[in-house]
Amino acid sequence: MIGAAFGSVLAGAQRGDETAFVRLFRDVQPALLRYLRVITSDAEDVAGDTWASVVPGLRGFRGDEEAFRAWLFTIARHRAADAGRSRNRRPAIPVDPNETVLTEAAGQPAAPDTAEVALESIATRRALALVAGLPPDQAEIIMLRVVAGLDPGDVGRIVGKSPGAVRVTAHRALRRLAEMAQRAGVTQ
Amino acid sequence: MRPPDATPNEMPGIPFPGRPGGEHDEPLLDMLFGVRVLPPDAPPEMHDLARALAALAGPADPSELAGEAAALAAFTRYASPAGLSPRSPAPGPARHRRPAGRRTVRRARLATALLGAAAMIVSIAAAYTGALPEPIQQVAHLTINAPPPAVSHPAPKQREHDQSSPAARPGSQPAPPAQPAVSASGAAAGSTTGSAPTMPGSTGHLACGPGPWQPQSLPPVLRSALPKVTCPPSATPTPTAKATAKPSPTPSPSKSALATAKATPGWSG
Repeated sequence: MIGAAFGSVLAGAQRGDETAFVRLFRDVQPALLRYLRVITSDAEDVAGDTWASVVPGLRGFRGDEEAFRAWLFTIARHRAADAGRSRNRRPAIPVDPNETVLTEAAGQPAAPDTAEVALESIATRRALALVAGLPPDQAEIIMLRVVAGLDPGDVGRIVGKSPGAVRVTAHRALRRLAEMAQRAGVTQ
Repeated sequence: MRPPDATPNEMPGIPFPGRPGGEHDEPLLDMLFGVRVLPPDAPPEMHDLARALAALAGPADPSELAGEAAALAAFTRYASPAGLSPRSPAPGPARHRRPAGRRTVRRARLATALLGAAAMIVSIAAAYTGALPEPIQQVAHLTINAPPPAVSHPAPKQREHDQSSPAARPGSQPAPPAQPAVSASGAAAGSTTGSAPTMPGSTGHLACGPGPWQPQSLPPVLRSALPKVTCPPSATPTPTAKATAKPSPTPSPSKSALATAKATPGWSG
């Protein structure tokens, strides 16, 4: 998240500053894409639709960073629902839970930063695959809480549940994830 | 069902307070959402879970930013002077953009209203210039005080000039009449005799000639609006002595012809 500088970045984007907008985009887009990959099978297109809807209303937005994220993820959820993809088809996350870093498997040394990035990317994809194995409502709430960084109130407004129900569902999902992670050895 | 009614072993899918992994781990689970460091004595599966969640919110992969160009293009489009406007919608999470169809309907309604207003203005202008068909002109006369309709007869064979003709204007030199009929417009009559009232914009004419029509056959309202014209003895009344609202290239009568017409008995108007 951008943090304390969010206000100035948002103001810059609202004035039409492309650099500020790019900073907003790069901050939110990975979380947006990961969230959409859990709830839809066509995450890239829906993400594009989401930004196409966010841009026209950017100048009129008022709020802090969390409100901005809540607004953006609300739009994303609506766009996914509009496309009719979020309900009938489960997302397709092309991740093998046993996937390892190819360079290590081939015994080829890689630059430390490249290897680190690759490891992180693989770990992210394997974690996404784990979450995608949860029931849809649990998976969505985990993504909104963990990836989007929203509090139970905002998540409840997005998914149509009370904050208490969100909290209970999230805890249940985490317990299940813990069991799945232990079995799959995700982080090893 | 309350917890005392069943043991955790009987309902393993439901977390009870006394069950391992039940509500006792909730503080730990809440800590996971903040991606905070778990205490060292936390169960190993919780540490695994914490690492998985940290990976879930890990740094961006370059492939995840592939849509940046498209988003930036959309932003640039809207950031142009015609784009990001203060009136742009969606000021908050609960607001959505207004469908484009509504704007189209609004524009169509506005265009229809403008067209209607323009048609009304044109109609009123036509009414005051006496260019409307007779029944409509009569209605306009009664409702908005437009000039009365000009009296016309079917199959007119001759047309007389109107006020737009140079001869109709005072002081101008009239051209010799091209027809044997004698006509007098309201304006011309007014300019020569000073007795015939003319309505603003009136273009009615009277022509002398053979035929059954006489001004007395008009309703009093219309008759009072017509100029008093008398036909000269030599001038044979046209069968279609009429008043018309249409402009005509026919030249106006000369002053002498009008004087002769006034001297003719039988035209009382």
